[in-house]
Amino acid sequence: MKLLRRLALATAMSGMFFAQSASVQAAEPGITDTTIKIGLFSPLSGAGMAYGFDVVNAAKMWYDKVNKEGGIHGRKIQLVIEDDRCNANDLVAAVKKLVEQDKVFLLNGGSCSAAVVGAREYIERAKVPYLMLNASGDGALYPPSRYIYGAFSISQYALGGSAVQFAADHLKAKKIGYINHDDAYGAWNLTAAKAQAEHIGGVTLDVQSINPNINDVTAPMLKIRAANPDVLVLTTYARPAALIIKKARELGWTKPIILTVTGTADLTQLVENVGGSDALQNFYIQDVLLGLPDDPRLAWVYDMYKEYYPELAARPGHPQSYMPYGLPSAMAIVQALKDAGPEPTREKVLAALENMTLDTKVMAAPVVFTPTDHAALKSAIYIKFDGKNKELIPGTYESVWRYNP
Amino acid sequence: MSLADIWLFLQQGVLSGLVIGSVYALLAVAFVTVFKTTDVPNFAQGEIFMVGGYVALFMILMLNWSYWLVIPVTLVSVTLIGAVFQRVVMEKVVKSKGVAVQLVIATLGLAYVLKGVVRQTGLGDSPRSLPPMVAPDAVIIGDAFLTRLDVLIFVVSVSVMLLLFLMFRYTRTGKAMRAVGMNPRAAQIVGVNLVVIRAAVWGLAGLISAITALLIAPKILITPDIGHIAILAFAAAIVGGLSSIPGAVLGGFIIGVTENLVGLFISTNAIVVAPFLAIMIVLIIRPQGILGGKLQVKKV
Repeated sequence: MKLLRRLALATAMSGMFFAQSASVQAAEPGITDTTIKIGLFSPLSGAGMAYGFDVVNAAKMWYDKVNKEGGIHGRKIQLVIEDDRCNANDLVAAVKKLVEQDKVFLLNGGSCSAAVVGAREYIERAKVPYLMLNASGDGALYPPSRYIYGAFSISQYALGGSAVQFAADHLKAKKIGYINHDDAYGAWNLTAAKAQAEHIGGVTLDVQSINPNINDVTAPMLKIRAANPDVLVLTTYARPAALIIKKARELGWTKPIILTVTGTADLTQLVENVGGSDALQNFYIQDVLLGLPDDPRLAWVYDMYKEYYPELAARPGHPQSYMPYGLPSAMAIVQALKDAGPEPTREKVLAALENMTLDTKVMAAPVVFTPTDHAALKSAIYIKFDGKNKELIPGTYESVWRYNP
Repeated sequence: MSLADIWLFLQQGVLSGLVIGSVYALLAVAFVTVFKTTDVPNFAQGEIFMVGGYVALFMILMLNWSYWLVIPVTLVSVTLIGAVFQRVVMEKVVKSKGVAVQLVIATLGLAYVLKGVVRQTGLGDSPRSLPPMVAPDAVIIGDAFLTRLDVLIFVVSVSVMLLLFLMFRYTRTGKAMRAVGMNPRAAQIVGVNLVVIRAAVWGLAGLISAITALLIAPKILITPDIGHIAILAFAAAIVGGLSSIPGAVLGGFIIGVTENLVGLFISTNAIVVAPFLAIMIVLIIRPQGILGGKLQVKKV
């Protein structure tokens, strides 16, 4: 009888144990004893491919490196990769597929801000930790969401503030011409640019806002020239930026032009698009890496890319300029998973992210997250570019704008 | 703003507006020609134009051909795209008693196909420019700056529009196209081959689009989404009158100049709204467009 009782008790207890295990498994999709499933997505085709293709490759090679070194607490990272084509519909579809069909543990992706913002509501409902790749994604970051982290390659807010700081500090500008887009991104970077100008004091902005699809930039450039600023800051995308730089040259503009990271995806193409290096004689580009691509401190990134993608690296145009931007978010995820311990849950990962400081040794400044600020990077470096040579301007330039609920 | 600035803005705004307006005008003429003859609003107009740019870019970048070869091959290729699409797709829809909506959907389908094909080439990954056909020297008119390319765009566009006018007025093909536009059944009775004329009209629209692309691509940079420029051509056609080719030309210039003047004297934010404001004003004052014919009720 005693034996029977013991057997019954053991059976009941083991049943409870398995039931509990099963419920943990059910509550934490994407985690097994040996794997952690991560959903990785970005534009891998279409017009926005330059923003994401090699960025995904960079993230992939970091996860692969971690796997080769034994994984995280014994678990290997398993990737499910989707193409979001840089548009909100495809991105939301990809996110839903990754969460509901592939049952990933967390999400890492997005190179286009507008597309990323479209997924905010779903991600909050699904309660899945989500770290953007290189999208600034301000619309998903402010006001802060518990589940969303991003701006690893600077936020729209910060890029505007940083550019104004550089113009004032390095170029001694008192009056800054500022051309942004007339959309939400333009409004965000202008907000921070104005805050920065106010913070510095004695600096004014002359702003012209344009549509991203503009064909004739005569009006904005002529108005900027008439206002006679000391410096021109461009926070537009690549096509309008090239049109403005070309028009500036046609109108005899010789003062400095600063192009933010929004328009620098393909510098070789930029030189062709502006009609040659003559248009870039007093030209600066914003970057968010810690140095020039040939900086010895970044050599490991490019060596790693060559090691993982030898065929791609041999092709012209690769690695794409934004390639290193894929590393910091992957690094932050790996760090958060390590910090979450051997039995990771989404809640533990979110707790680890909330107070993370991580020097990626890739970007201009360390990743710093707080419970009220999930934007990773607020500083940038500046490079003088004459169409052929790049010269690093010493120092990093930080945006002072902070989210104020 | 000083008086000197206002005078400069006015000169520069009008001259630059005429240059970009000549491009809108050409595309509007292509749109109106197809619409008048086949009653189909061609929503692939912008993409046909875009393909013209990429065909030229492909030959220049991938085949290293010179402009002497690129220009004729581009013109022929895009003309054929238009004509073959009409002959193979649109005629089939017409024969199957397709209604207007189906014809419009077919043009939308063509737009997607053309965009998809261009994206597959990899050339559409970043904005690209065709090499300049002329030196980028400045041409100063009054206080305003133009480039030699601007002058070339304007002169060639106006010449093409003049040639089109002469063709429609004095050649048998041009007269046949007009006849089909007025009354296809009557045109058929007097011996006009509707299938051939419709294909010729689409081919002509392709040819005009290719010329436009070759002219403007070195100036405004092309992407697979550059077809949005056709919206401004539609606006030009509506402002000038959907049934009038001279009206489309006038509408193109009005839209181009209005965009610049609004940007210079009101706000650069408002540039994008200017064409639609022009449409609203014209529709309120003269619903058929500035040079559009009298409003007619069709007997069905």
